Amino acid sequence: MPDSQKRSSRRVAVTGIGVVSPLGINVRENLTGLQEARDAVSDVAMFDVSKCRSKTAGQVLADWQFPGARKEWHRASHFMAAAMTEAQSADPGFAPELAVIGTTSGGMSFGEAFYRMQASKSKDLKRASWLANYMPQKAVLDALGSSGWSTPTQIIANACASGTNALGHAFQLIRAGLHERVVAGGYDAISELVFVGFDSLQASTSERVRPFDAHRTGLVLGEGAAALLLEDWESAIRRGAPIVAEITGYGVATDNFHLTQPNPSGIGPRLAMQRAIQDAGCAVESIDYINAHGTATAFNDATEGMAISQLFGDRVPVSSTKSMMGHSLGAAGAIEAVFSILALRHQFLPPNINYATPDLSWKLDVVSNEARKAELRTAISNSFGFGGTNASLILQAAA
Amino acid sequence: MRAALTGLGWVTPLGADLAKVYDSLLAGSVAETRPIQNPETGEVHLARTVPPKLVESLARNPRLRRSSPISYFAVAAAIAALADAGCNPLTPDQAARTAVVFGVSNGGVIYTRRFYEQILKQGANSASPLLFPETVYNAPASHLAAALGIDGASYTLVGDNAVGMSALNLGAQLLALGECDRVVVVGCEEVDWIVCEAFHDWLLAPTPMSEGGSAIVLERDGPISIQTCAGVSFSSRRGAVQALRRAVEGRDAALIVSGSNGSFIDRTEREVFSPQARWLFPKHQLGEAPGASALWQTVLAALAVRARDARDALVPVVGFNQQASCVLIS
Repeated sequence: MPDSQKRSSRRVAVTGIGVVSPLGINVRENLTGLQEARDAVSDVAMFDVSKCRSKTAGQVLADWQFPGARKEWHRASHFMAAAMTEAQSADPGFAPELAVIGTTSGGMSFGEAFYRMQASKSKDLKRASWLANYMPQKAVLDALGSSGWSTPTQIIANACASGTNALGHAFQLIRAGLHERVVAGGYDAISELVFVGFDSLQASTSERVRPFDAHRTGLVLGEGAAALLLEDWESAIRRGAPIVAEITGYGVATDNFHLTQPNPSGIGPRLAMQRAIQDAGCAVESIDYINAHGTATAFNDATEGMAISQLFGDRVPVSSTKSMMGHSLGAAGAIEAVFSILALRHQFLPPNINYATPDLSWKLDVVSNEARKAELRTAISNSFGFGGTNASLILQAAA
Repeated sequence: MRAALTGLGWVTPLGADLAKVYDSLLAGSVAETRPIQNPETGEVHLARTVPPKLVESLARNPRLRRSSPISYFAVAAAIAALADAGCNPLTPDQAARTAVVFGVSNGGVIYTRRFYEQILKQGANSASPLLFPETVYNAPASHLAAALGIDGASYTLVGDNAVGMSALNLGAQLLALGECDRVVVVGCEEVDWIVCEAFHDWLLAPTPMSEGGSAIVLERDGPISIQTCAGVSFSSRRGAVQALRRAVEGRDAALIVSGSNGSFIDRTEREVFSPQARWLFPKHQLGEAPGASALWQTVLAALAVRARDARDALVPVVGFNQQASCVLIS
């Protein structure tokens, strides 16, 4: 189909945002955390990590609960419900037609509990509840219920790109006129299986997480959720909705090099960014900030750093906010889209903390250790994941 | 959403040949059950599994050498569907305009269970790094994209046993967006004792659990059309009736390919549809494979329409805790 027929020219507004992360349980706390360059990585106490190489993660406060949560809910439901209701409170008139949410592991720790029970002789009555609350769709249904919304759901599990894929797909549906309003986002909660999984791959670090640093030694996991209310621009204007940002482009690429390792050439990230920029119809020169995937693993940062360097040189400031809160997997893309919007709204560059030694393999303007004031109009947010999933989103200040 | 259905493929406990399995289903054949034991408690479950010789034959792609059956099923079903659509292998130009949508409910549960078992029994420092990547929901879609040479859009959807319907709807959306000219929609599942016990405890599948895969190629034009549905959410089993009613509203067909599996789904369908309709019940013969079943139903419906055994066919699907949905094939 020719591009001229491919889509209408509808603009896509973001009319509400909500976020829960290790930096805080709402937008305000996360903004403060970003501006103060807070390190929210702490020791893991939820399960035994004594035999793991990494012993830390970015964790949402252990004793925090979403008000109104049911007692059987998984931790992930608390995150997703808090993020979605916060977004809703920013735009109470929003009525979604569809929910597109990303995750990688749903309520995995309940699955672990179920396995432990089935492998033992005892049969705790809780096991049916664990099952019902383990499935990836449950946190989304709990969040929708808390918001008083009932919509069809699409739960995208594209590994660490899930959140960006969810936002990007929702954006495309609205831009093409297939939907007017979609709530999109992502969530994930830390679990033992996933924590040990990254540890077994030696992808996680026992040290501080140092994205793009020459001496980076790996990632730490994180958790949280974010929700964004996406709406056809004209519809949002008509009903006087508060427009906080615009999404203008989305690009994806599948890198078939290896299930867990990116092609060293950086082709996956480069194609995703190029396609997003082309999709937005903007020039490379118009990008003012890059919220990088930046996990701090040797391979990921090498390929992303190279791709950014090839596309942008060192002209555009880059930061990985995972340096402050770890890698929240399926939530990461949605949380980082919210962070990019906060950067655009408050005209600052979120910092890349723990950065000391530039990697000479590329030339990047890393926003090292402290937030910077800046004049920003357009940002790109990157997410790349296992399975060769690469996704980039272009966000623009509301105007 | 509407699209054309141009290719069909499946891997089932009754085999992987489109015509032969179709004939077997119409003849009332029931797949054999095989015992699967929980080694910790000794409890034995009966499941309808894909015959081991067939599984072996599907595992020859080098990219699949460390993967679990769910990925074999995905690749085999997709290649069969592309062959049925007359485009296997995809040319580089075709691959550049082809997207993958993969639907799954439990995912790579065999490796997931084994990996967690290693953590508990041998300690976190002994858990195998070879297992973990295959536990990720989108691992089969990754293998599939690599096998088909696709470097564009690839989406994995998770959800209840209506996830196959969501995958078809997403596939139709991608075509409508103009992002591609062809979508390979695949739904798969593999069976393990933990799945059997989960569905038994949750009273969800008196029908034996099963495994396999199914694939459907969607394009914009073709002789068989498919009308997809975004799904209707429900929050209680009672609410499923209303949700299914809304999902199928205005859609009528000569043939209904049921999702009946002996659970509350049967009651739900009975309350919504007329008993006078002509019905097929493939899960009674193939078992319940949550990520694959809805697409098995859809392939069966499409084969009936293609063979002119029915003018049109409706595939209703009631998920276990998320949504009701359907597709109409004509």
